[in-house]
Amino acid sequence: MVTAAAPLQSTPAQTNADRAGVLPTNALLDVRALSLAFQTSEGELPIIREVSFSVAPGERVGIVGESGCGKTVTGLSLLRLLPEQTTRLSGQILFEGRDLATLSARQMRAVRGRDMAMIFQEPMSALDPVFTVGEQIGEAYRAHFPVDRKEARQRAIAALAEVGIPAPERRCDEYPHQLSGGMRQRVMIAMALICQPKLLIADEPTTALDVTVQSQITDLLRTLSERTGTALLFITHDLGVVAETCTRMITMYAGEVVEDAPVDDVLMKPRHPYTSGLLRSLPSLSARRSVLPSIPGRVPSPNAMPPGCRFAPRCSYAAEGCQVRQTLVALGPQHSVQCCRAAEVSLPGAVN
Amino acid sequence: MSVRNLRILFPTRDGSDTVKAVDDVSFDVFPGETLGIIGESGSGKTTLGRALVSLIKPSEGQVLHQGRDPATLGRAEFRRHRRDYQIVFQDPNAALNPRMTILDSVIEPAEVLKEGNDASRRKDGLAVLSRVGLPREFADRYPHQLSGGQKQRVNIARVLMLRPKVIVCDEVVAALDVSIRGDVLNLFADLQREFGLTYVFITHDISVVSHISDRIAVTYLGKLMELGSAEDVIERPLHPYTQALLSAEPLPLPTSMRTARRIVLEGEIPSPISPPSGCRFRTRCPVAQPRCTDEVPAWRELKPGHWVACHFSTAEGPPSNNAISQHDSKQGG
Repeated sequence: MVTAAAPLQSTPAQTNADRAGVLPTNALLDVRALSLAFQTSEGELPIIREVSFSVAPGERVGIVGESGCGKTVTGLSLLRLLPEQTTRLSGQILFEGRDLATLSARQMRAVRGRDMAMIFQEPMSALDPVFTVGEQIGEAYRAHFPVDRKEARQRAIAALAEVGIPAPERRCDEYPHQLSGGMRQRVMIAMALICQPKLLIADEPTTALDVTVQSQITDLLRTLSERTGTALLFITHDLGVVAETCTRMITMYAGEVVEDAPVDDVLMKPRHPYTSGLLRSLPSLSARRSVLPSIPGRVPSPNAMPPGCRFAPRCSYAAEGCQVRQTLVALGPQHSVQCCRAAEVSLPGAVN
Repeated sequence: MSVRNLRILFPTRDGSDTVKAVDDVSFDVFPGETLGIIGESGSGKTTLGRALVSLIKPSEGQVLHQGRDPATLGRAEFRRHRRDYQIVFQDPNAALNPRMTILDSVIEPAEVLKEGNDASRRKDGLAVLSRVGLPREFADRYPHQLSGGQKQRVNIARVLMLRPKVIVCDEVVAALDVSIRGDVLNLFADLQREFGLTYVFITHDISVVSHISDRIAVTYLGKLMELGSAEDVIERPLHPYTQALLSAEPLPLPTSMRTARRIVLEGEIPSPISPPSGCRFRTRCPVAQPRCTDEVPAWRELKPGHWVACHFSTAEGPPSNNAISQHDSKQGG
């Protein structure tokens, strides 16, 4: 899988100039300096700051980080699913070269579900309890294609079969409460993929599921992506799931992208202390009954961001240069990191 | 603690049937050890944990605390007795009263037991708070001012206030971020060394359970499938379910280091209202045989201290397709 060149983050003008030269024009999604703030009664609350990354067609990219790092908000903002009145968005969301951030609500509706779809953590709250799953899946298709109910139903049945639901003709007429958690998530995937979107955003799709069902769903997402060429943006806190599903991993911290690298590289040799800390705190990688490493402190709240490197207060490698704002720098063609000490420190990864 | 043929049944809402949450389970918990209990949701592990600390009455069988059955104790005696057997729950938010300060929440258990006076309770409360790593200024705060990890520390402090012998930990780190999970698990380990505590650690997270446990019990649909030392169960599982469960765990390893191919289990855990006949796991077992339908597998000790409920497991390992066909042909001949 060819990955688009790592985005450089500096002044917007320079960013665009650099990228125009380096970036293959085939990036499916190209997010450039995306910032987002919520309006609150106490003023504006900045949530994500100049996030840049790209997804190539058919590529599977994982976004990881602790809760409160802005992963979900990033996913929602790509589909413009955040309330317009209270959200201020800047930067570009280039999807097949078109900037989604500037589309009208009507134009956006034509993209949502058609070219780009999303599935969520809790399938029960994303499904309508008073309609059968077949009607809901069919509706997603009818929103974009002029077909009658009968054909929509046939398409829904085919979609259910595609995601591995046994007896799809029968399941099609059942209501969400009649299905188990794993089945509901399959229904969500069927609904998201029925229009054959080019990009599927999956926000913690397996967090509410048991580990044996989780492995079924991640296998399903990976094989569907491989077969249909749908790109996947997988938002999760579980680094194991990213390692098994994705080809590239983006680490977010406090509303910023701090590392962007191929999964195998970053697991062996993370270059940002935060990525390294996340990897090291996994119990499966420490000797049994040993003291587990952890990252001290917690993610700063959006209205109390430290100046300079946002991770510095929790970072054991923090030094002089960390007092100034960090930029995402390319270390290689596919690896970029937002840490001024990346070149001088050697960080432990998943395997040493 | 000893669990003897424990069975816990709940009636369904219309009363026509029963949910067999825990079905004929027997095991021991030794003083000072950490017993991990793993299983998927619906395997009855939470019900089992609650029964261990007398929050749920057994329908049949017994839970013995140092040889005594708490169900036979008088009211006053039971109250004194149960302080030794405490439980910490999954959701750190739901377990704290939002209108009480942290210190008040921590000393509440001692108040209920009418232990000491206001001043001594306050002093003890501050001492346990500092023991779980919360600075003095947290004492007068309210739960909403704390993070999830800090709230879980408060819950641990509340339980420590009673100086229990046994703590049942029900998914205590499931709601926490990986980055702070380690801290809380380290705290549990420190407290165990310091106070000689016995833990029953209930979780669905294999990496957590294998890290902290001395022994591990694997549950499925209300039954124990396997029980043994953590090392044996994780490194050399003997039950096909344990094997599948371990292989389903996503590992953060690069492609080049992945070795064992995952065993994908078909379907999901069946309903505990009408569990499958014979072996509970047979409907999803990759190596199920006709015998598994007819006969409930015996709880066998295949290696010293390593118990398995599978007809075909041997001390060498779980059954493979080959081994079973050989076995069958031998039986046939």
